[in-house]
Amino acid sequence: MQAMVFRRILIGFATLWVVSIIVYFGLSVLPGDAAAIQLGQAATEESLAALRAQLGLDRPAYVRYFEWLGNMSTGDLGISNAGGATIASLIGFRLGNTLELGGIVAVISVPLSVFLGLAAAMYPGTWLDRALTFGTMSLVAVPEFLIATFLVLIFAVKLKWMPSIAYMSGGETFWEWVHALAMPILVLVVVVSAQMIRMTRAGILNVMNSPYIEMAILKGVPRKRIILRHALFNAIGPIINVIALNLAYLVSGVVIVETIFAYSGLAKLMIDGVQTRDFPLVQACAMIFCGTYVVLLLIADIAAIMSNPRLRNPK
Amino acid sequence: MTKKIENTDVDYGDMTGADRDLLTAALKRGATRREAMQMMAATGLSVAAAGAIVTSAEEAIAATPVKGGSVKMAPSLHGPDDAIVPAQFTSTVDYTRGRCHYNSLVQLNDDIIPQPELAQEFGANANATEWTFKLRKDVTFHDGSKFDADDVMYTMAQHYGDDSVSVVKSLVAGVEWKKVGQYEVKAILESPNSDLATLLGEKQFKIMKEGSAEEFRSGGALPTGTGPYALEDFQPGVRSKHVRNKNYWRDGPNFDEVEIFAITDPVARVNALLSRDVDMVAQVDPKAIKQVESTDGVQIKSNASGSYMGMCMMLDREPGNNPDFVKGMKLLHRRDKIVKSILKGQGTVGNDHPINEAYGADFCADLAIQDYDPDQAKHYLQKSGVTGAECVTAEVTPGMTDAVLMWQRECSKIGFDLQVKKVPTDGYWGSGWMQTPVNVVTWNMRPTATIMLDIAFAPTAPWNDTAWKNDRFGQLLTMAKAETNAAKRHEIQCEMQTLAHEGSGMIIPAHMNVVDGHASDIMGIPNLSLGILGGCEWPEFAWRA
Amino acid sequence: MSNTTENPGAAEKVVDEIDKFAELPDAPPKKTIKLSWTGKLAAAIVAAWVVVAFIGPWIAPFHEAEFILDDSFVPAGGCAEMLDELYDIEEWTPEAITKYCSDADVTLFLGSDYLGRDTFSRILWGARTTIGISFVATLFAYFMGITLGIGAAVSGGYIDMVLSRVNESILSLPSIMLGLIVVAALGSSIPILIATASVIYATSVFRIARALGQDIMVQDFVEAAHARGEGLWWIITREVLPNAAMPLLTDFGLRLVFVILFISSLSFLGLGVQPPTADWGSMVRENMAGLGYGSYASIWPAIAIGTLTISINLIVDDISAKSGGSLAKKMV
Repeated sequence: MQAMVFRRILIGFATLWVVSIIVYFGLSVLPGDAAAIQLGQAATEESLAALRAQLGLDRPAYVRYFEWLGNMSTGDLGISNAGGATIASLIGFRLGNTLELGGIVAVISVPLSVFLGLAAAMYPGTWLDRALTFGTMSLVAVPEFLIATFLVLIFAVKLKWMPSIAYMSGGETFWEWVHALAMPILVLVVVVSAQMIRMTRAGILNVMNSPYIEMAILKGVPRKRIILRHALFNAIGPIINVIALNLAYLVSGVVIVETIFAYSGLAKLMIDGVQTRDFPLVQACAMIFCGTYVVLLLIADIAAIMSNPRLRNPK
Repeated sequence: MTKKIENTDVDYGDMTGADRDLLTAALKRGATRREAMQMMAATGLSVAAAGAIVTSAEEAIAATPVKGGSVKMAPSLHGPDDAIVPAQFTSTVDYTRGRCHYNSLVQLNDDIIPQPELAQEFGANANATEWTFKLRKDVTFHDGSKFDADDVMYTMAQHYGDDSVSVVKSLVAGVEWKKVGQYEVKAILESPNSDLATLLGEKQFKIMKEGSAEEFRSGGALPTGTGPYALEDFQPGVRSKHVRNKNYWRDGPNFDEVEIFAITDPVARVNALLSRDVDMVAQVDPKAIKQVESTDGVQIKSNASGSYMGMCMMLDREPGNNPDFVKGMKLLHRRDKIVKSILKGQGTVGNDHPINEAYGADFCADLAIQDYDPDQAKHYLQKSGVTGAECVTAEVTPGMTDAVLMWQRECSKIGFDLQVKKVPTDGYWGSGWMQTPVNVVTWNMRPTATIMLDIAFAPTAPWNDTAWKNDRFGQLLTMAKAETNAAKRHEIQCEMQTLAHEGSGMIIPAHMNVVDGHASDIMGIPNLSLGILGGCEWPEFAWRA
Repeated sequence: MSNTTENPGAAEKVVDEIDKFAELPDAPPKKTIKLSWTGKLAAAIVAAWVVVAFIGPWIAPFHEAEFILDDSFVPAGGCAEMLDELYDIEEWTPEAITKYCSDADVTLFLGSDYLGRDTFSRILWGARTTIGISFVATLFAYFMGITLGIGAAVSGGYIDMVLSRVNESILSLPSIMLGLIVVAALGSSIPILIATASVIYATSVFRIARALGQDIMVQDFVEAAHARGEGLWWIITREVLPNAAMPLLTDFGLRLVFVILFISSLSFLGLGVQPPTADWGSMVRENMAGLGYGSYASIWPAIAIGTLTISINLIVDDISAKSGGSLAKKMV
């Protein structure tokens, strides 16, 4: 197991490096550089040259890549090409924001989804199951921005119960903070849970098809007991896998929610970085996202091994 | 400055003093018009009479600014590249922050006439080749240091030199600055310019403390200004917080605190206003105007402006080098329909040159609006032999793509194949605009017609975006810059506008109003058209009733 | 849809399973797919949309790019005549529509969109774009994902390592960002959108296919084939693919939904399908401002997406319930 963890961490670093190369090529094929984007319509050849010199963009791209790689390995994230702020200062508090929002959503949605998924699997074909299946499918099928805007119109504009944006001036009390974040939390819980409920249900029903469960069914073991005692432990691997992927999504993929609620998080920052051709910024975000992904999947795999005796002692 | 209401004697009709106080108090508390009307109706007044009383009561309140309170304002664009050094300002969020944090030498009033700001007095010599600015002596920066001519010299120097990253560099290229005394500077011009003071009202010419740009760029403190609010917190792409400058050199701002943070999604921005989570929003999507208008407690602020959307046909390459093609294309725009259905009435019809009524006396009203005539267009296009073209478009201003789609539809009706290629806005300015044969553009209104034409239509202008090189136009432009007689300048302007209308490759189907939204209890927003919410001038003058 | 102890079908099912052992261990298990009533309804809906995708432009009352009315968000049944009379959208009540539009020449069945185009026509036109892009992109994603995934599993070694690292890297980056880069660099023509979506979603298919491939490669029947001296190609086509087919097929429906949503989220960033081409996801986005007026212009395309994707997933559920594959374990 230790050897496995160690090997996976090494592989993780290899993946990070490949990501940095993909980002490097991705950004270099985009039209315009940070200087051209910053000056926009006001650009002239002269001012472009001056700004490029100021930002250090006059050196070849590969030189800047290796410079970045060198700095990165010493923990220095560099300086934003777009505004001149240090990347660490741009990322620091947004990472906090992202983790706060993602953390709350995870704490609510993971137990909720597993519970509802189990309930659906326990009574398949019943009205509860059908309602859950239909409900979750409908939610999966609707674009996130429609769900978000719809909820804003109801809860913020019409009822005025909650603010329409997750903006905080600083110095909020805990309840003010919860109030400000209520809408994005609601939207993300809806979006993320829908998929996790479906997957939990599917995972358990799949295990229910395996011969030893069928044997148990034939022996007359009650269904509830089969699911909680046997199926759940065997299905836990894939369920945790799905949970891990959804948590990774909460860190890197929530750009639409961050945009609609004007919430400063990492996902929006990376899109801004791409749009302003801010090479060090995009790289730093990519490293964080990839690192999160690798670590979460590793944890999921370890959890799957720990929970399953067959995997714990491989033949 | 807001137009002060001279007559503050309110006609309260037969109201008792107590009722009157009640009404005034209610309105000051932020009661909506509808609520106030209901109050009045309860006293037995007819709706018309109640309406008149509420209006005059509102005006009376409007006339006397109240100090205090805080305000949240949401512009449309921001990112990690938000600038705080004025020379690098490019977006409304920068301009608005700049207006909080800094002052200019001059400020432009609602009629775009320069007024004293940090320059107490200013003026040009007879042929407008030398401008003198006498500075105020009682101004201090936020850090307590005194403001003088050295700061002005330092700030202006930001716009010169090979390593200058200023975005307005080319506008003041032929100007040399001289310090005359501790509180006096001179601008010496290569060629006459009667608009220099007006030009210095552009947002990039805000004055900062000597040395502060270098200090900021090398990782030091934020640049210091003299503005009505001191910067308490600035996080690029997140927000900025400004607190009242207690030592401001004049009567000063009304709010205690201003918070600026962008909401980029247009629907979310309007929703934030409707739910009153912000007090002011920039750029209300034309589609949402009716929604704001029909909601109590918020309103639309729409200022007619010279901003325009344009389709550029580059005259120096295929197919724009074919005059019949250009002529045909200009005839295919249903300009009134664009104003009505895309801009929802918040704009004026364009006439293929960048000047409209908003520029006042310089506008040439005699020039007939370009026809919409598909038959003529078909004739010219057939004559040109061009059967298809590709328009590279980006949503550079709300409604741009829609206007191009309408154009495409008109083309297809007469059998011309106009392909539309929509690209993201970020890379568009560098790779679409002025690069591809047919593309789109938008320009914000400039302080004067001459400045506008100089930037984008002069034969030597770096932003001559249809490659239209007309020598006569260039001569007229030099004459217009030097001309101080309004009637003569109008004549010159008329000839220039006619030349651009007929000869350039620019199609300007419409000018857009500046359309913003704000809570109804925010008063005193200026009416300057050069930017959002009264030319971004609101921070010093607006107040909350 | 399910097999429970309460369900009389369960016993049959077990007998089915036992029957399998009567066949050669080598042969892929036979699968017969019987749809439940929901599955049949779903299949009918999918079939209907596919038909619309083919004939939409011919049955639509207007062209997708035609500007019919000057005003946006006119409610269902609205017409041009009423616009001169009414200003506030709130005044467009059903009574007003009857009053002004009962004998109008042009009425819009589902109302107008934000530019005064006919929402109904655009949904009919859009079926072709949306279903076309998502279906083709998902197919390509499968083709690439399976080829490379099973290739990696079968060949192992360096090829497997390189492919897996590249795959993980793409998978770990937010798909919307990858889409943004590709579209910004190459434009958002339909072939580019299809290529982008298929590469992004091929990564998940790769993971499933590789894992399934690895599982199958160590199964006894494959080892037996090896021992018999069968070639690599034979093993892939006769053993690996047939055994992996069912779990992969059941994943197809979900992928298709993701592709539709991916294109619509690109439209959120102002990318997505080139206007004026109608695409359901983009239609939801461009008409969102109408929600505040109570306009359904953005709800109708969402319903179209919903009916299509829910139906596909109901069919998928039916299939996976019968297949008993180990899909969920590999599902990404």
